[in-house]
Amino acid sequence: MAWYDEDSWATAAFAPRGSTIAITFLLAVLLPVLLHQFLYRKATPTTLPSFLLIGPSGSGKTAFLTLTERKAVAQTHTSTAPLGVEVLLPEDYMPQSSHYRSPGDPAYERSRRFLLLDTPGHGKLRHFATKQLANPANVRGIIFVLDAASVAEETGLNETAEYLHDVLLALQKRYTEATTSKGPKEIPVLIAANKMDLFTALPPHLVTQQLEKAISDVRKSRAKGLKDSGRTLGGEDEDLDEEREWLGEGGEGSFEFVQMEEVGTTVTVHGGNVIGGESADVKSWYEWIAAQL
Amino acid sequence: MLDTFEILTTSGVVLWSRRYASVGPHIINSLIRDVFIEERVQPQTEDSGSKPTYRKEGYTLKWTTVKDLGLIFVAVYQSLVHMTWVDKLLDNIRALFVGLYGEQLENKKSSVVNCNKFAPYFERQIQELEGQSDGGSSATGAKLTPPSSTDNESADESVPKINPLQRQQKPLYDTSADSTPVPTPDTSRPTTPAQSHLLTGKAGPGAKLSRRGKKKAAALNSAPVSSGDEASVKRKGKASTKKNRVWGDFGAEEEDPSMVLDYSQSDLRDDAPEAEALEAIDPESWGSRTGKGQFVLKDLDLEMDQIIAEQNAKSQSGTPAASGGGLVGSSLGAIGGLFRNVVGGKTLTDEDLAKPLKGMEEHLLKKNVAREAAVRLCESVKRDLVGLKTSSFTTVESTIRTSMEKALTKILTPTSSLDLLREITTVNTSNRPYVLSIVGVNGVGKSTNLSKIAFFLLQNHHRVLIAAADTFRSGAVEQLRVHVRNLQELSKREGAGHVDLFEKGYGKDAANIAADAVAHAAKEGFNVVLIDTAGRRHNDQRLMSSLEKFAKLAKPDKILMVGEALVGSDSVAQARNFNQSFGPGRGLDGFVISKCDTVGDMVGTLVSMVHATGIPVVFLGVGQHYADLRGLNVGSVCRLLMS
Repeated sequence: MAWYDEDSWATAAFAPRGSTIAITFLLAVLLPVLLHQFLYRKATPTTLPSFLLIGPSGSGKTAFLTLTERKAVAQTHTSTAPLGVEVLLPEDYMPQSSHYRSPGDPAYERSRRFLLLDTPGHGKLRHFATKQLANPANVRGIIFVLDAASVAEETGLNETAEYLHDVLLALQKRYTEATTSKGPKEIPVLIAANKMDLFTALPPHLVTQQLEKAISDVRKSRAKGLKDSGRTLGGEDEDLDEEREWLGEGGEGSFEFVQMEEVGTTVTVHGGNVIGGESADVKSWYEWIAAQL
Repeated sequence: MLDTFEILTTSGVVLWSRRYASVGPHIINSLIRDVFIEERVQPQTEDSGSKPTYRKEGYTLKWTTVKDLGLIFVAVYQSLVHMTWVDKLLDNIRALFVGLYGEQLENKKSSVVNCNKFAPYFERQIQELEGQSDGGSSATGAKLTPPSSTDNESADESVPKINPLQRQQKPLYDTSADSTPVPTPDTSRPTTPAQSHLLTGKAGPGAKLSRRGKKKAAALNSAPVSSGDEASVKRKGKASTKKNRVWGDFGAEEEDPSMVLDYSQSDLRDDAPEAEALEAIDPESWGSRTGKGQFVLKDLDLEMDQIIAEQNAKSQSGTPAASGGGLVGSSLGAIGGLFRNVVGGKTLTDEDLAKPLKGMEEHLLKKNVAREAAVRLCESVKRDLVGLKTSSFTTVESTIRTSMEKALTKILTPTSSLDLLREITTVNTSNRPYVLSIVGVNGVGKSTNLSKIAFFLLQNHHRVLIAAADTFRSGAVEQLRVHVRNLQELSKREGAGHVDLFEKGYGKDAANIAADAVAHAAKEGFNVVLIDTAGRRHNDQRLMSSLEKFAKLAKPDKILMVGEALVGSDSVAQARNFNQSFGPGRGLDGFVISKCDTVGDMVGTLVSMVHATGIPVVFLGVGQHYADLRGLNVGSVCRLLMS
C-alpha cells in the first residue's frame, strides 16, 4: 500500500482534478464576495450626525424632540428610556456645510438630516446620557435643555448646575485623556434655556451668569468633599481618583463658560420656548444646529 | 367615570389620549417617577388578577405595559368611584393597540405613531364594558347606538387632530425609509401570517371582502380631505384600512389571491360618486337591525374581538408551541435554542430566564445581599427582560448580567444631591445651626463615624458641637471626650475649625439633652451640631419608641443611620425599623455603611439597605483613621458586586 490513500478526501483535495480546481476557484472567488456582503450588512448603513439632548427632568427635552420631528409639540411625560429619532432640519435653516449647494441638490436634502437623541433626565436614569458622553462617536453637539424658570430658584439651579458640571467635566476629561496629539473632535454645547414664555423665566444672559456662579460653587464643594470610595473598595482602578480633574483652568477662581474653549468645547446660551406663548420660539436653537451640520 | 386614558411610550411621548375631565400631567408623571423609576411603590404582580394601582391626590391610576414595544397604558379615575371594568379595558385596549399599530411601533427611529383613528375602537370598548357592568337590561341599550351619530362624532374629533401634520410630513419619512434602510429587529414578521390567517378565515363572504378592498383603494388614493357626510363613510373605511396596513399586504395576498382581483374591481366600482357608495353598502354586512329598528354596529365590534382574540392567542401560544411537535420537533427546537443562545436573537421567556436568574440570585447572596433584596433585583431583571430579544452574539447570561448591572446602578444612584457641605451653608444662612444625628444598632460604629464626620467638617472650617446624647452605656461620654480631645488637637495643628463637646452625664433623657445642645450651639455660634445617640436593637419596641420623641425635640436636619457592612440579611429589617421609628412624616435621610474595609468585595449590605428603604448611602467607613470616610461610587460598587 502506498503512503497515501487513493480514495481519501485529502488526496482528492490535492490532486489535479477538474472538480478540485472548480471548487477551489469558486471558493476563492466567492468567499471575499460573501465576506464583503456579510460585513457590509453588519455595518450600520449610514452614520448620521447626531445631537444629544441632555438636561434635568422636566426641562422639555422630549417636547423639543417632538417639535422637531412633527412640527408640533406632542404631550409628554417623564421619560424612562432614551429615544433616537431621525429628523430633518426645518426648511428655513441652511446647514453650514451646504451653503454653496443649490436647493435642488440631493445632497442638500441629505445634509439636513440628523439624529436627535433624547435621554431621560431623572437622577437615577442619567447613566444613559453618561454612556453616550463617554463614547460620543457621531455626536456633533450637545443640547443641554434647562428650565429657565426653575433656574431662578436655589434648588432648581443647583440641580441643573450639578448636571451641567458633570457633563462639561466628562467633555473635558475626554479631551485631556485623549492619546492623539491632535485631540478629539470638538463637541460644542448649546445651553437651551427653555420656557422663556413664563413670567418667572430668567433671560439668557442671567441664566449664563447664574449657571457660571453655581458651577463654581459646585466645583468648590466638590473640592472640599470626600473622596470617592472607588479606589479603596475596588483596588484595581488605582488611578481613578488619584488624579481628580477640575473643570476649567485647574479649578481655580470662578468658572466661566469661556474656559471650556480650551478643551474644545464651545458653550453657547440661547433662550427659547418649546410650548406656550403665541407659538414655539426655538429659532436660535435651530440656527445653532444648522451651524454644526 | 374614567377621567383620562393615555397611551404613552417609555421615552415619554403620549401616543394617544382621551380626556373626559382635566387631570394635571403631574399625576401621571408622579406615577412614572414613583413606580417605574424609583420603584418606591411596589406594584403587586399581575398574577393576582387585578392590575396594579397607584393613588395620588384623589385619583386612582391603573396601568399595564408592553415591555418590548415600550408602551404604557394608564387609566386615571377618581378614587371615590369604584370601577370594576378598568382592568378589562386596559387588557383589551392593550391588545387592540398592539394589534393595530404594532408594526409602526417597531420602527425605532421615530416617535410618531399614526393612530388618530383609534378613537372609535376606544369608544366602543368603553361602551361595551360600561354596558356589561351596568347589567343585563341596559347592556343592549348601551350597545345600540345609531351608527351615524357615533361615526360623525368620533370622526370629527379624531381626524383633524394630527392629520394635517401627518400628511405634511409623510413624504419625508417615506423617502428616509427608502434611502436608509434601518436595521430593525423584525419580531412581527413571523406573527403576521398567523394574524391574517385568523382574519381572513373569519371574514365574511364576498360582500365584506370587496368592501374592504374598496377601503384599501380609498386609502391608496391618499385620503382626500373630507367633510360633512363623507366623514361617516370614511371613518368606516379607515377602521378597516387600518387593518390592512397592519397585517401587511403580503399576508392578505398570500392567503387569498382573489382579494387582489376584488380590490381592482371595487376600485372600478368605487369611481362612482361618494354619495352613491354610501347607499350601496349593504346594511347586513356592517350591522344588523334589531327588533326596534336600531342598528347594532357589528363590524367594529367583530373586528375588535378578532384583534383581541388574536393577541390573546399569540400570548398563549408561546408556551404550547415550544412543547409541541413531537420528539424530533422538540430536539430540533432545543438545538435551535442552544444555537440562538450563542448567536443571539432569542426571544426570552420565563423558562429561559429561570435558571440563569437562580444563578444570579446565588451570586448576589454570596456577595452578602439579603435574600429579599436579591429576589427583588432578580424580579426586576425578569420584568425587564421577559419578551425581549437578545441582541446578536450575546448569550442569555450576559444579557442578564447587563440588565442586573443596570438595575443595581438604578437602585444605588441617589435621587437628590447628597452634598452635605452645601446643605450646611444653606441652613446656616437662616441663622441656625445644622443638626445632624446618628442612630444605629449597638456596636456598629456610631461614635467612630460621628467623629469621622466631625473631622471632615472641621477640615472645611466649620464650628462643630458634638452632643453626647448616649446617656445609657457606661463609657459612652468618655469615649466621645477622647475623640473631641483628639480632634481639637488635630484642628489646632492644622488651623482648621473648632470643636467642642456638650455633655450632661448619664441617666438623663436623651431627647432633652439633644434639644439643649441645639439651643446651646445657636447661642454660642456653632454651625453644626452632631448628636450621638445610644445604640438600640431595632426590634426592641421600648427602646425604639424613644426615637420619636428625640426627632420631635431635637429636630435634626439630617438623620443618618450607621449600618455594618458585615451584617447579612438582618440589614433589611434594621433599615426598615429605624426608618419607621421617627413617627409619621419623618424618616432616615441616609446611611453610613461602616467597616467596608473588612468585607472585601462582599458589599451586599449596601444594596440590601437601600432596597429596603429607598434611602441613599451617604458615607462609607473604610478604615480606622479619622480620614477614612468616603462617598459612594456607584460604578465601583456595581463592579464589585458583579465580579
